[in-house]
Amino acid sequence: MRRVVVTGLGPVSSIGIGVAAFLSALRAGRSGISPIAGFDASGFPHRHAGEVRDFRPEEIVRRIRPGEWGHSAQLAACAARLAAQDAGLEPGGAWADEAGAVIGTTSGESQVVESLVDQQMAGGLAGMSVASIRQLPAERLSYAVAEELGLAGEALTLATACSASNYAIGYAYDCVASGEADVMVAGGADSVCRWAHAGFYRLGALTEKECQPFDATRSGILTAEGGAALVLEEAGHAAARGARVYAEVLGYGVNCDAGHMVSPNEENIAACMRIAHRKAGIKPGDVDYISAHGTGTRANDLVEARAIRAVFGAVTPPTSSIKSMLGHTMGAASGFGAIATTLAIAEGFLPPTINWSTADPDMPWIDPVAGTSRPAEVRVAQNNGFAFGGNNAITVFGAVE
Amino acid sequence: MKITGYGLLTAAGSTAAELAGASAARADMSALHDDLPRPDACAIPGFDIRAELGRKGTSAFDRATGLAIVACGRALADAGVQVEAPERVGLVLGTTEGSLRSTMEYSRETLVQDRPYLVNPVLFPNTVMNCAAGQAAIWFGLKGVNATIAGGPLAFLQSLRYAGNALDRGYADTILVGAVEEFTAHRAWTAELAHGGPVGEAAAVFVVEKDPQDRTPIAEVPAVAAGFGQGQGALVSCLRRALARAGARPEEIDLMATGDLPGERAESDAVTAVVGRDLPQAGPGDRFGHCGAAGGALALAGVLGRLGDGELAVITGRAADGAVAAAVVKGRGDARADRR
Repeated sequence: MRRVVVTGLGPVSSIGIGVAAFLSALRAGRSGISPIAGFDASGFPHRHAGEVRDFRPEEIVRRIRPGEWGHSAQLAACAARLAAQDAGLEPGGAWADEAGAVIGTTSGESQVVESLVDQQMAGGLAGMSVASIRQLPAERLSYAVAEELGLAGEALTLATACSASNYAIGYAYDCVASGEADVMVAGGADSVCRWAHAGFYRLGALTEKECQPFDATRSGILTAEGGAALVLEEAGHAAARGARVYAEVLGYGVNCDAGHMVSPNEENIAACMRIAHRKAGIKPGDVDYISAHGTGTRANDLVEARAIRAVFGAVTPPTSSIKSMLGHTMGAASGFGAIATTLAIAEGFLPPTINWSTADPDMPWIDPVAGTSRPAEVRVAQNNGFAFGGNNAITVFGAVE
Repeated sequence: MKITGYGLLTAAGSTAAELAGASAARADMSALHDDLPRPDACAIPGFDIRAELGRKGTSAFDRATGLAIVACGRALADAGVQVEAPERVGLVLGTTEGSLRSTMEYSRETLVQDRPYLVNPVLFPNTVMNCAAGQAAIWFGLKGVNATIAGGPLAFLQSLRYAGNALDRGYADTILVGAVEEFTAHRAWTAELAHGGPVGEAAAVFVVEKDPQDRTPIAEVPAVAAGFGQGQGALVSCLRRALARAGARPEEIDLMATGDLPGERAESDAVTAVVGRDLPQAGPGDRFGHCGAAGGALALAGVLGRLGDGELAVITGRAADGAVAAAVVKGRGDARADRR
């Protein structure tokens, strides 16, 4: 198998657009949560989310016309443009002839769906606009990336809900490792929407203003949005062009709970970690840092913490959740986790869990890296992603010699 | 990878042979919805989730989920797969945007209820595109790789490619790979407004294995390739890559199943450019309506219904934005036989 490295990062997030801004926010432990502007949230008891407030796609993309694409596709295309730029790859260059795009998502063009509902309310289903219907298919998230970067390889959109970015990174890793492509752009995108905010609220899984993963008083997620992209490149290809290398992708694990659509399962999450470690050729003791799924719900964090202990034993690696800063960016979440993990390895620090103050007596083994980041040598790190439908996916990254 | 069984639910029947020989299959669906653009659709009029799956555990299922589960069940039975090692059995399912009806109705509830949050929490997972795959995994206890591919007209070929990779990389020994599109008023209207034609409904699931131990394959899929680009060149080069990977020469191809609608030649022209002659067409055309993600799965079923032992077919797909995919399929044994 060929070795696969990360040579470019493109975060479009509520805590920063572009790798420099994202990195400084991660180090400082900045919150991206703000009052919701994307839809009328006045009827909701909880009115905060992690929206990308300064998102101006027309200032980032060069090839696609943002108006022809839905909000999630715009986020994906911008993230990919920034990642390619960060990797020093000129869109449309020779590298793009066989390069592909794999983008994960939970709700695809959710804001387009809500536009269609508005049109239905006004004029029935017959009143839906053809322009909106054309922007609806979720496949367009990866197509926007392919179009923006001039990629002629495979373009694929994975809809495995909140672990979708890890699914995407895993598949893109396989494409590069097996020789299908030298370069793949992988990540995820989702947009805030009214229906997801309502659904999580009704599940009792939505907190008010602060997401507090692993804290004893945690009370839920905050809905959020963003686009996350990573450039994965064959190691020799990267070396030949003198590319800066952040980290190596060591492998990934996927499995399915096949038990409950919404509730996570400790045993299967532990099994997924073991698959990821085996595929990556590492042992639990090699892992220096875990980027947790860490949604901040009572159930997820406890199940995840127990699964970690089941796999790692009494001493578990520092485990933080960047959802404390970003909120839950759904299909983009494990993409941001992968970017944070990659930066942790390259820059030698542990991203923090903010809003954490009280240890949960049910998971005393968890070190959440509370408050602000901590300098640390990170040789190997794992990035957890779990989802509705029981779609567990974990990616593993390592330092490059 | 090798195909060892399949399950089909279509307006034209449930076997490859029926599908291969079917002409336009329309049914009056006005009993199901009163706000349709036209009374008839290429849908499955008698499909009833409770009649197929019983009442227990099915109350939250939308039609797409019900169709997917029934198709998975038929595929498992057809191949004779007993799920003995659940973690080695996966599922890869193609879609366009999940259940558009479930999602739009959920969003609509946030506008019409007294408070925007007075939605039904039980139905929330139905708004997520991986609902059908997640519920099917629960129904049959499939704990291996579970992926949902949002690819619209390409979703099935993309799913087939994803499944092939997952088998090659050891993530499962057996994978159910398919695609589903449900009949609803929402899809009837989007098909009518965007394409000006009747909507189609279908679910097709195939059992694929890298190295089936106790089952005789009905066909092989030696290669699936994918690419992106504007103009005919993207599909031409994608087809060439698929043939090269399959080790097949252009003159060996006997049959094609393209996504062309009547009057369209974009895909079949690309096939002709690559193989050097016109091939018989096994694609679904418009016989089954606008089947979205299920279109490619119907193309494969149509191919299985016509492909003799050792014969080779190509299946192609093209999306409006420029994505392309092509698969090479080789007949094995008697795929044409109606095995039920």
